Amino acid sequence: MMKHFIIFLIIGLLFSCNTEQKAAEDGIFPYPILQTELDNQLNVVTVPYNSPGIAAFYIVVRVGSRNEIEEGKTGFAHFFEHMMFRGTDKYPKEKYDEVLKSIGAAANANTWFDRTVYHMTGNAEMLDKMFELEADRFMNLKYSEADFKVEAGAVKGEYTKNYASPYMKLYEKTYNTAFKEHTYSHTTIGFWEDVVDMPNQYEYSLEFFDRWYRPEYSTIIVVGDVTQDKVNSLAREYFGEWEPGTYKQEIPVEPEQNETRYAHIQEENFPPVLSLNYKGPAFTVENLDMAALDVIGSLAFSERSDIYKKLVVDERKVRQLNAGGFNTVDPGLWSVDAILVNKEDMTEVKNEIDELIEKLKSEPVDSVELEQTKSHMKYGYAMNIDNPDAIANSLAWQVWLTGNPATVNKTYANYDKVTPEVIMDVANRFLVSSKLTVSTISSDEKFQEAEDLNLDR
Amino acid sequence: MKYLAFIISLFVTSTIFGQEVVELPSASTKVVVKLAFKNGSICDPEGKEGLTNLTASVLAETGSDQYTKSEINDLFYPMAATYSTFTDKEMTTITFQVHIDFLDEFYEIFRGVLLNPTFAQSDFERVKSNMEVYVKEVIKASSDEEFSKKALEEQLFSGTGYEHMKEGTISGLASITREDVINHYKNYFTRNNVVIGIAGKYTSSLLEKIKSDVNKLADIDPAIPTLGEVKMPDGIRVQLIPKPNNLGTAIFTGYPIDINRASADWPAMAVINSYLGEHRKSYSKLYKLIREQRSMNYGDYTYIEWYEAAGSNQLPLTGFPRSQNYFAIWIRPVQTAISLTSQYPELDGIKIGHAHFAIRMALMEVERVKNEGLTQEEFDLTKQFLRSYMNLFVQTPAKQLGFLMDAKFYGLENYIDYMNEAVAQLTLEEVNAAAAKYLQVENMYITMITDQAEAEPLKESLLKNAPSPMTYSNVVKESLGEEIFEVDKKAEVFPMNVKSVEVIPTTDLFDE
Repeated sequence: MMKHFIIFLIIGLLFSCNTEQKAAEDGIFPYPILQTELDNQLNVVTVPYNSPGIAAFYIVVRVGSRNEIEEGKTGFAHFFEHMMFRGTDKYPKEKYDEVLKSIGAAANANTWFDRTVYHMTGNAEMLDKMFELEADRFMNLKYSEADFKVEAGAVKGEYTKNYASPYMKLYEKTYNTAFKEHTYSHTTIGFWEDVVDMPNQYEYSLEFFDRWYRPEYSTIIVVGDVTQDKVNSLAREYFGEWEPGTYKQEIPVEPEQNETRYAHIQEENFPPVLSLNYKGPAFTVENLDMAALDVIGSLAFSERSDIYKKLVVDERKVRQLNAGGFNTVDPGLWSVDAILVNKEDMTEVKNEIDELIEKLKSEPVDSVELEQTKSHMKYGYAMNIDNPDAIANSLAWQVWLTGNPATVNKTYANYDKVTPEVIMDVANRFLVSSKLTVSTISSDEKFQEAEDLNLDR
Repeated sequence: MKYLAFIISLFVTSTIFGQEVVELPSASTKVVVKLAFKNGSICDPEGKEGLTNLTASVLAETGSDQYTKSEINDLFYPMAATYSTFTDKEMTTITFQVHIDFLDEFYEIFRGVLLNPTFAQSDFERVKSNMEVYVKEVIKASSDEEFSKKALEEQLFSGTGYEHMKEGTISGLASITREDVINHYKNYFTRNNVVIGIAGKYTSSLLEKIKSDVNKLADIDPAIPTLGEVKMPDGIRVQLIPKPNNLGTAIFTGYPIDINRASADWPAMAVINSYLGEHRKSYSKLYKLIREQRSMNYGDYTYIEWYEAAGSNQLPLTGFPRSQNYFAIWIRPVQTAISLTSQYPELDGIKIGHAHFAIRMALMEVERVKNEGLTQEEFDLTKQFLRSYMNLFVQTPAKQLGFLMDAKFYGLENYIDYMNEAVAQLTLEEVNAAAAKYLQVENMYITMITDQAEAEPLKESLLKNAPSPMTYSNVVKESLGEEIFEVDKKAEVFPMNVKSVEVIPTTDLFDE
């Protein structure tokens, strides 16, 4: 449940570029990943793909709600994403919309904990125009204070539609409970009071643009009916003069969690929810921690798992069961989520999950099931990347997590290295009650069975 | 354009064993197969609303004569192969996706489910329980936007085969037995009402097997009920559904239009619709007026056909062809009075939030387009946009296949190709004539999911056609130009032909 909450010739000659081309590594990704870093540190990634006439143009900016360290500024990265559509001197809002419409592309943007992604998928023959439009706003964004104040209402509208859902309320409360110092304590849309105060933050928005919308924080990914020469040429022409900035930031470190925490949402007439959220690792391809947790999520909790067959299929106490973690730059949460039939079964379901996790810590998993899980993950990925958008999206993940799209191969190679021993080690280090936040939805004002859930084990 | 030629050149259709087959061979290692049955929730017997969708849903969650569902899960797990079903008003599609490395192995197991599903009592009860909790609780609590759409359709299609949502009603689901599901599968998922679609690097022997197996389904001509007449309402009929402490009012409106993808006026209305409210596009008129200029919500769009899961999809899905459509306006949640007064002291005392003003603003624009039409410049730009944009609907083999199969429902070969040509041929006069013919603001249904405290004041305001001045916060008000307020003065008194307003508790929805 939780994991479901979860969207860019001449100058080239004038400004010589670092044309080092990082070769694609061997691995699961079946297409060449052609990278060029311009002199201004802007990384330009091209993946030629057989999608006649269509290209996906992504710009990943490594700024998200994780970077909202200042008091009263939660939700600002997302709000700023909205402002990026408010025009420039060359293309004021009306003109921008007109040109965008003439391109006939699917264009949008989305923000999350660690990044903001701008994407435009459309006619590959219009790539030049796409580059021109994107470079103009990334380098020359200009909006009035009046437009700034007005846009805030749209964010409020987004909050309002999202938070009609009890799942979103639980998601917000869970992260706010699990994190005390780190900025993952607020969700990407921000706290309501900060959203309401956004119209008063015009000056800060100028500062925000100056800090983050810089080539060293950005990567361009183009996938589809294109050549690297064409993409690089356009990147140099339109983004070559984009100047690097100087802003550096320290994100508060989350102190070690030493006790089980609890978050509850009261909701009448709604299926009860039990969500166990453990502090997980930061994403890296340099060790197997996240790979092992991904394997556990699939092997131990998917439709083929014993606990799924017992609780969902045979006993019908649980309507939906799944487990997994968001891949995040800093340590995030790895969750087991169960939507129950009756709230009276919550203790039993919690005990079943606890028992399974204890077993993962003490007994090696079946080697055949482990190999099947690796196969499942590999084929699942291979079947997903069958269009330019999905391919660009897949590489964008790597860009914001590691800075390098080619780590997609290492990410999947790491799954192959996961052994039963690694799983036991990872379960023992991460799936412990002192790192746990239990969150629930039920009709109770306060959940009365807290003690039965062994919260203070 | 060359990519259109690419798509067109690759698909072939044929008729074998009486079943139509859409083939889309490609180098893709993912093979996608769709079996599209012409049935849908219109086939649900009276008193058993939800039967077709439940039958399809249980099929996806049950075993075969050889394997239980759990055993099938075990077998398919290493392949990452999936199969699922999707039901709409007039069609159910079974889709499977598998890598070519496992094609034969997968299909041998899948065919058992297709031909000899067990519909085990426990699988039936499990899936039915999930469907019941969706209809009774989840749809009413998890998204006011989806809730408003399902509730609107229940009003708009009242007394016809489209009335109940595909998931069913509380009493309809309660009365469905396992035997009903078994019989419904036999009678409505037959060799005589199915189109086979296949895409990817499949083998001819696989296709032959699929054809042969589909031919083993029951040799029954399903009795598909007629839809019945979908009547234009007399005046504006409003349904208010209050919920406690709601920050927003979700709004969805509609009135029937007698055109579909095969109609001569469809391409012209597609241009009008795109201009007025293309889904999730910032350059359409309603979005500009309500969201961009006035800061009222997250987005505002119009539709001339159903858009599945619109809240989570930027591009359209497939599998829901309908012979009857309606013109719809989707106004995403606008602020309620409790939300506004809690944020802004200057708005203290207001009883109604932005809903009444928002719907008036939308209707005023629809009426303007009906009367004035598009300018040549607007027409040319929208045409150019649509011809390029619609190609993005078919970026994957699965989407290409889905659009081709939906086209068959309407008697078309390739909808995307057809629209590209048809839109190119349109003249401004044709488009503006279509706007004059199909747009209107006098008669429609409106559903609003709103705040408990706002329902009665809003009802009174709507019934009295009372002025509904926009209540801006000071911070927004000081940022707006005089031209905005000039338009607002007209919008706040825009006459609405409201004939009835009903306040309906959530518990009364989808009960029978």
